Amino acid sequence: MSTSTDVTRRALLAGAGVAGIAGTVAAWPRLTGADIPGRGEDALNILIMGNSTDAAGRQQIADGFMEEHPDIPVRIQAIQAADWADFFAKVLTMVAAGTEPDIVYTATEGAQLFAERLALPLDEYVLRDAEQMRDYFEDVHPSLIEAFLYKGSLYQLPLDFNAANMYLNLDVIERNGLEMPGEDWSRDDFTELLRGMQGDATPYFWTNRLFGGIVPWLYVNDTSFLVEERAPGGEELWSTFYPGETSRSGGYLWQQSNALDPRVHESFEYVRSLIEEGLAVRPEEGGGNALVGLFASGRIGSTPAGGYWVQGLAEGGMRPDQFDVQFFPRWRTQRHQFGAAGYAVMRTTKKADQAWEWIKFSSSKAAMELAFPTPATTPTRRSMVNDNFYTGTGPEHWSRFYETLDRFPTSGPIPAPPQQAAVETALIRNVSTALSGGSDGVARALENLDEDLRAVFEEEIA
Amino acid sequence: MTTATRPAPSPAARPAARSPRPDPGHRSAIVLRWVFLAPTMLGIGLFVVLPILASLVLAFFRWDIITAPEFVGLRNFLDIAADETVRISFLNTTVFVIVAVSAQLAVAMLLAVLVQSRMPSWLRVFLRSTFFFPLVLSAASVSILMRYLFNESYGVINWLLSLVSIPAVPWLTSPQWAMVVVIAVYVWQNFGFSFLLFIGGLAAIPRDVYEASSIDGATGWRQFRNITLPLVSPTILVASVMAIISALQVFDQPYVLTRGGPGDATRTVVMVIYESAFRELEFGRASAIGLVLMVLIMLVTAAQFRLAKSFVFYQ
Repeated sequence: MSTSTDVTRRALLAGAGVAGIAGTVAAWPRLTGADIPGRGEDALNILIMGNSTDAAGRQQIADGFMEEHPDIPVRIQAIQAADWADFFAKVLTMVAAGTEPDIVYTATEGAQLFAERLALPLDEYVLRDAEQMRDYFEDVHPSLIEAFLYKGSLYQLPLDFNAANMYLNLDVIERNGLEMPGEDWSRDDFTELLRGMQGDATPYFWTNRLFGGIVPWLYVNDTSFLVEERAPGGEELWSTFYPGETSRSGGYLWQQSNALDPRVHESFEYVRSLIEEGLAVRPEEGGGNALVGLFASGRIGSTPAGGYWVQGLAEGGMRPDQFDVQFFPRWRTQRHQFGAAGYAVMRTTKKADQAWEWIKFSSSKAAMELAFPTPATTPTRRSMVNDNFYTGTGPEHWSRFYETLDRFPTSGPIPAPPQQAAVETALIRNVSTALSGGSDGVARALENLDEDLRAVFEEEIA
Repeated sequence: MTTATRPAPSPAARPAARSPRPDPGHRSAIVLRWVFLAPTMLGIGLFVVLPILASLVLAFFRWDIITAPEFVGLRNFLDIAADETVRISFLNTTVFVIVAVSAQLAVAMLLAVLVQSRMPSWLRVFLRSTFFFPLVLSAASVSILMRYLFNESYGVINWLLSLVSIPAVPWLTSPQWAMVVVIAVYVWQNFGFSFLLFIGGLAAIPRDVYEASSIDGATGWRQFRNITLPLVSPTILVASVMAIISALQVFDQPYVLTRGGPGDATRTVVMVIYESAFRELEFGRASAIGLVLMVLIMLVTAAQFRLAKSFVFYQ
């Protein structure tokens, strides 16, 4: 005898449909992102580039802040990105979606993009709380501040920075019977040092990007691929916090191509000749994380990098006596390139005053010590860059990380106008072309670079 | 009038004139049909049709996400027509499609024929799984790994070459080699899908056709050319259509391996779309390039089906 428990196909499908609808309803908070911690709450939303571990790392600072300001709840949100340009694109999509944060931690690469389009100037707040801020400015090099001025206004307080110094592998140097170069070494000394690096180590390894790529070579040759100008303004800030800095400006401006400058050609040609001679690799694009292991294992003789590399090398198993850092070699000048980072307040925020409190708190020494417990970057507060910070990990001449700014006061930031992404794309593409062929290819690539850059700036004007 | 000897027509086939009132069963069947179709149609509408329409509209605007879109007419299309990078990216993509798809289909067919030949069943299962395996891996992860393998200074490939005194090859940093590596990595990862299709196609060929041809004296290459290829040609058509559509949209491998470099040597159309939209914030321009690519894919696919009439053999 048959039972009545048979389920028809139609009933089964209807059941599946109902289950699907029920599942969708149940998962609605996840689908709409409403279950993201803090969303919908009245918290100060702070965006950083990184992963959840990075966000957790900053939570200590947030906890400290909320202890001091119990009326301002804070939420740290980390966004993963391949590079800064990728991060900025994600921030912009959040803006477009109406889910913009209140504060964004951004680097020099995005400083002018934010200043031009997204961020609030901080001058009013800084000058209002001048007495509270004096301790910060007294501890921070003015070059770093100038890098975050745009058309006369200050948009960020730099909290960490990295200058493009030269890392030298002491194992490779010793193996080849070479000597650590002096601080005023020249480009020719550098070439000779590379020539002396025999064996299986690559003498000079570098990556093709805006920081640490071709730009340091342009800077030491007293040029750049963009015309560098200074904006007027910022007088009140300079006179309040740096009365001795009378020649400081209202920030850098990059509005035209300088790719056809003969010195740019000369710099490209020099690096190309290093590659041709087998002293340098063809530049790879993207970040240089892979380099840590190679450098630590003695496969790389030298590479440009900042203080951020110290912690990575230590984690890669390198002892402090196995490497050292030197200033970038002198050519026509010994001007260095640097990049910095700090919090920017979004124009769209309804919590500008609270955001300023966060920035003020984050720039305090106590908060910065929480933010930078290890030398994974160089803190902008000079007082933090000390023996204690580098004990057990730092190279013998760790002091050069900060001294770069003192010794070479004309050192400048990464040339990053508001159109940074397009500029960087054009640079990377044409550096790559210029250095992948013969000598005649350099001039052609620089003409293309000039054309690309002019298109970028003309488009902006249009 | 119906009789007992004639089967009753189905409600759907019943002429409307003979039924003055709509049949509730018929109506509910129609409703049910739409209910079942609704989720798929909603998905396609939301995630395919709507973005295409949005892209179509956006192609006539200049929009950087932050400021309001500005109508620019055909300017985006004129700009991309004059843009050297776009032109090179289409050229690169064309070269990529021709070489990668040919290699992918050839490798897949060769291995499918080998796997279908006489061998222990455990080995057949092992080989099938092995050849299909790369397809289930993430393209980005594979490309990161390959980037290490092909590194000029410390890659395993060059180390192996050095063992036989071959100097280091700039696999990813020379314009001559970069595209070769990108194609090789792409083919290695994607041939598994065509391989699977060919396995199915080959398995469907009746054995007696081969037996009959053997009696007539045909073996090896002749059997492959005159029996296997014609009978598997419908599968080749499907595999080639899918392979070409996929290859025209290649992004992951060149992006991770070379970022489109050196120079523009491996920059593909989808990379330019990505860079225009998410690096340069030119969403209108990116949409215009996307539309051109979509039209290109449609034309190529239509041409394939048109050409198929002359070479595809349906049993």
